[in-house]
Amino acid sequence: MTQDGTRHVPTYCYQCVAGPDLLTVKVIDGVATEVEPNFCAADRHPGGGKVCVKAYGLVQKTYNPHRVRSPMKRTNPNKGVDQDPGFVPIGWDEAFDLITEKLTRVRADGLTDASGYPRLAVSFGGGGTPQSYMGTFPAFLAAWGPVDMGFGSGQGVKCYHSEHLYGEFWHRAFTVSPDTPLCDYLISCGANVEASGGVVGVWRHANARARGMKRVQVEPHLSVTGACSAEWVPIRPKTDAAFLYALLHVLLHGSPRERLDVEFLAKHTASPYLVGSSGYYLRDRTSRKPLLWDTRSGAAVAYDTPGIVEALEGHFEADAIEVGADDEVLAEGRLSGETAFSKLLMHMASYTPEWAEAICDVPAKTMRRVAREFLDHARVGEFIDIDGVRMPYRPVAVSLGKTVNNGPGGFECVWARTMLAALVGGLEVPGGTLGTTVRLNRQVPSRVDSILAGPDGFMEYPLNPTDKARWSPNPNIRNAYRTMVPLAANGPWSQALGPTHFSWMFLDETPKGLPRVTLPDVWFVYRTNPVISFWDTPDIAEKIARFPFIVAFAYTHDETNHSADILLPEATDLESLQLIRIGGSKFVEQFWHCQGFALRQPVVATQGDARDFTAIATELAQRTGILDKYNAAINRGAAGVPLKGTHWDVALTPDIAHSPETIWDAVCRAASAELTDGQQSNGLDWWREHGLATRPFSQAKWYLYPALAAQGLRFELPYQERLLRVGTELGRRLHEHDMHWWDGQLAEYQGLPKCDDHGAVWVASLVGHGGTAEAYPFWLLTARSMQYAWGANVGMQLIREVADNVAGHRGVIVNTQAAARLGIGDGDMVEIATPQRSVRGRAVLRQGIRPDTLLLIGQFDHWATPFSKDFGVPSMNSLTSMSLDLTDATGSSADIVRVRLAPMGEAAR
Amino acid sequence: MTRWAMVADLRRCVGCQTCTAACRHANATPPGVQWRRVLDVEMGEYPDVKRAFVPVGCQHCDDPPCLDVCPTTATKKRADGIVTIDYDLCIGCAYCAVACPYQARYKTMRPTFAYGRAMENETKRRDDARLAVATKCTFCVERIDAGVAQGLTPGVDPEATPACVNSCITQTLAFGDLDDAQSNVSQLLRENRHFRMHEELGTGPGFYYLWDAADDGQATD
Repeated sequence: MTQDGTRHVPTYCYQCVAGPDLLTVKVIDGVATEVEPNFCAADRHPGGGKVCVKAYGLVQKTYNPHRVRSPMKRTNPNKGVDQDPGFVPIGWDEAFDLITEKLTRVRADGLTDASGYPRLAVSFGGGGTPQSYMGTFPAFLAAWGPVDMGFGSGQGVKCYHSEHLYGEFWHRAFTVSPDTPLCDYLISCGANVEASGGVVGVWRHANARARGMKRVQVEPHLSVTGACSAEWVPIRPKTDAAFLYALLHVLLHGSPRERLDVEFLAKHTASPYLVGSSGYYLRDRTSRKPLLWDTRSGAAVAYDTPGIVEALEGHFEADAIEVGADDEVLAEGRLSGETAFSKLLMHMASYTPEWAEAICDVPAKTMRRVAREFLDHARVGEFIDIDGVRMPYRPVAVSLGKTVNNGPGGFECVWARTMLAALVGGLEVPGGTLGTTVRLNRQVPSRVDSILAGPDGFMEYPLNPTDKARWSPNPNIRNAYRTMVPLAANGPWSQALGPTHFSWMFLDETPKGLPRVTLPDVWFVYRTNPVISFWDTPDIAEKIARFPFIVAFAYTHDETNHSADILLPEATDLESLQLIRIGGSKFVEQFWHCQGFALRQPVVATQGDARDFTAIATELAQRTGILDKYNAAINRGAAGVPLKGTHWDVALTPDIAHSPETIWDAVCRAASAELTDGQQSNGLDWWREHGLATRPFSQAKWYLYPALAAQGLRFELPYQERLLRVGTELGRRLHEHDMHWWDGQLAEYQGLPKCDDHGAVWVASLVGHGGTAEAYPFWLLTARSMQYAWGANVGMQLIREVADNVAGHRGVIVNTQAAARLGIGDGDMVEIATPQRSVRGRAVLRQGIRPDTLLLIGQFDHWATPFSKDFGVPSMNSLTSMSLDLTDATGSSADIVRVRLAPMGEAAR
Repeated sequence: MTRWAMVADLRRCVGCQTCTAACRHANATPPGVQWRRVLDVEMGEYPDVKRAFVPVGCQHCDDPPCLDVCPTTATKKRADGIVTIDYDLCIGCAYCAVACPYQARYKTMRPTFAYGRAMENETKRRDDARLAVATKCTFCVERIDAGVAQGLTPGVDPEATPACVNSCITQTLAFGDLDDAQSNVSQLLRENRHFRMHEELGTGPGFYYLWDAADDGQATD
């Protein structure tokens, strides 16, 4: 502290998945006044230690007069949008008494209900970021037992769902990123990285542009990312798969084979594996290993035979066995097979740029040029040294945006993107297409360390079982991810990666075969507002009003906690204590050269009667009689670090309620010890002063290629034999239980995915609701707002003020010429309607959008949240209808809907 | 001599408004008063459209039109190029705001707060000397002066550098001494094509916009 009473307090901001940002807060006489970058972290943070615009809202967030400052209880038993909750302040003791009464009854009645679903449900928002603010609440949940964390609040329609599941399956890529610092040519299909990439993404791309990287932005509207790109290709919405298939076609059928990375395909993918006539690999009859043709011996051999030279193309005969779903032997003996690469060639033959042009409205010559440029920049055959490791150097990549890679068509886009990388050997190598984090596989600090050898020469993947003995029609939670989505796996994140809208949809009518979906007895909700952020939000609001007991950790009144029974004010970002892991490779573009921990600490005194989340969790554990299990969970690592390790033991005494300071002091000491192999054990005071500590993380660990090559593992591309088998088995299991409502999704399980006009799915839905394509001619899309996204900061005046400097935040973006044809002027009130619903807002006329497309940035339409309820900006979430027809096999859908647009007349102007 | 100047690389800017927010913090300006902000500009007709983000604010001109019209000499120009406003002398006539071709000046008549009444942080930073007078970007002159007094280099050392530059997440903004041929800004201007806003007015802005690499490493206007 200086003599004038000024302090600069280090802390972190993790309001979005593209964080964390490391910042300091200037505090004058105990009052937070300014957010600044943590300049001391500039040499370690991959974004120069800078801070996202969202973090600048934290000072207002702290002092916002609209905050809930004490626990409150509902006095109006009736719930609903039209009901005044009648919240009245109560003390913490009364709040805990009311909650404990419900929780104790749940424990007495049994942790699961008659349908087998957990009676306690919990929803968090922001792609897991609330975990960086909820202190030891995860330890409470771990101690509790079964909890349903599958009531979605954005997952599926608002995430990169196909990328998450297939990306992690193919290359440990829960999120996918170009290796931007080394990439020279990037095809970006709707990936709005300048809005969604966080400080690190934006920093890396700005440097790449300055270095000369060419980014081709393919999207229906000229986003901020398109604005900063070398070229904008205004594609018809939801047709990106056709665009990408055309590129694949040009690479496979319009380019000399030697320009592809033939060695990569032969040695590091399943391209040479022989596929039999029934669509499954030909296998050795004894070992059941997949066969390929060895040109050196002129024989079919197991894929892992030493010294082989794989045939990439051709038909071959082999003494083999073909094994289908459920270990069914489909053929045995002298069998004919063709390489997976040959099947790929034939599969892609008809997907010409001319075919694609008719679907995606991009000139065929543009697609041919982009494919040629991609190939020209690929540097096939070149190598680079990264931290002493020699790797292929392929400075080309493809990134996909949110609406591109989820919902119907998402699988095709993700597959095509990954195949474009594979064809030039640009998958998981410097300059190419990389994953950044794992969430469904074993979670370890480095993706490289998550690699385990699996079947058939591929990486292991924890698919949910589909065999007759282990598959179950009785899900563990309401969204049925284990039953319906093998790729969702069954780890800590899997509940949120299933079809999370099922939990809501099936409340009214549970489809045949699943236990009736029930309301949870108790629902905790934190940092999420599904009444605004999910799809079909009017319906969500109605359903939440039926929940019998809702405990909302509440910053302000909002549309979801409008139906709450208890509001609990937790100490917010600048008021509470937590240590998190930083560095390594994390979400989006977070690639670091170090890894370690950062502390979030009380910068100022807590406002009102808010409490540190850790204190709340401890109290709940104590009152519900699970304190010993809670402390044990913390000791095991539920607060981020195991408190007992090889070189340290700072474990908490199990049967005592510890203060947040005691708990985090132990966590800090364990983190120090982990970082220094037991050499140091710095406590909370040290971390309060320094804010972070790290140790080196080699850039070589950004890339999977060396570790896969060392283990002799191949990327599971291009052919999807394992998924075909899994999908076939899943279909059999469902049909054995007379469940046919998932048949459309089962069609996604293909060896090589077929491509079509995926937008037609939404047009069909429109027709099903009584509309026609002609009467509802516009595609309504949304786009990320960097200022708002994930931040739950819609009530921050500063954020609104600066966001309004970016076009589109005040209304619906309409193409100027299209608006003129409808008699709509800039700023006019318009109505956007589906056959079922309509919203109103002001027109924002821009040239940078297709005439058939409308854009509503962000998600607003608030009616309860103070400040933002007066915005008058609509949301597409109010117009989208939850539907199985719009759900893909991963359980996701996309943010897109067909609408009509009409002026509201002079009176409304 | 010293001539402080700002450089904005338009190839880098993404319009995120982090500089806008950082300026609001650092200078405690009231809601809506953005001494630094970024314009979102669109050019052309669909499908041949360009969109660009342009940081703007006081250009700290060599020959500031605001200075010429000031009836009280409140607006002054320092030897190092920074245009200042003496709030004690300013009578709030707003001639300067009208004269400024960059729309960089603000006048706030009464205390305004984010949510109607002052929050703690707003009370702490309240400065009634700024009411009913002209205000604008100062290049964070207090930081510069304090930093220089400590031997720090504005544009290099964060403590001596304008808040918008410190905050910039794309390295769009750079600040430094044009009279120092080795400074960061001098180097940027040598290596890139650049322009100044409304050059034709002869105001001599101290704010340069980079838009492309120089062919031969020489500055090109």
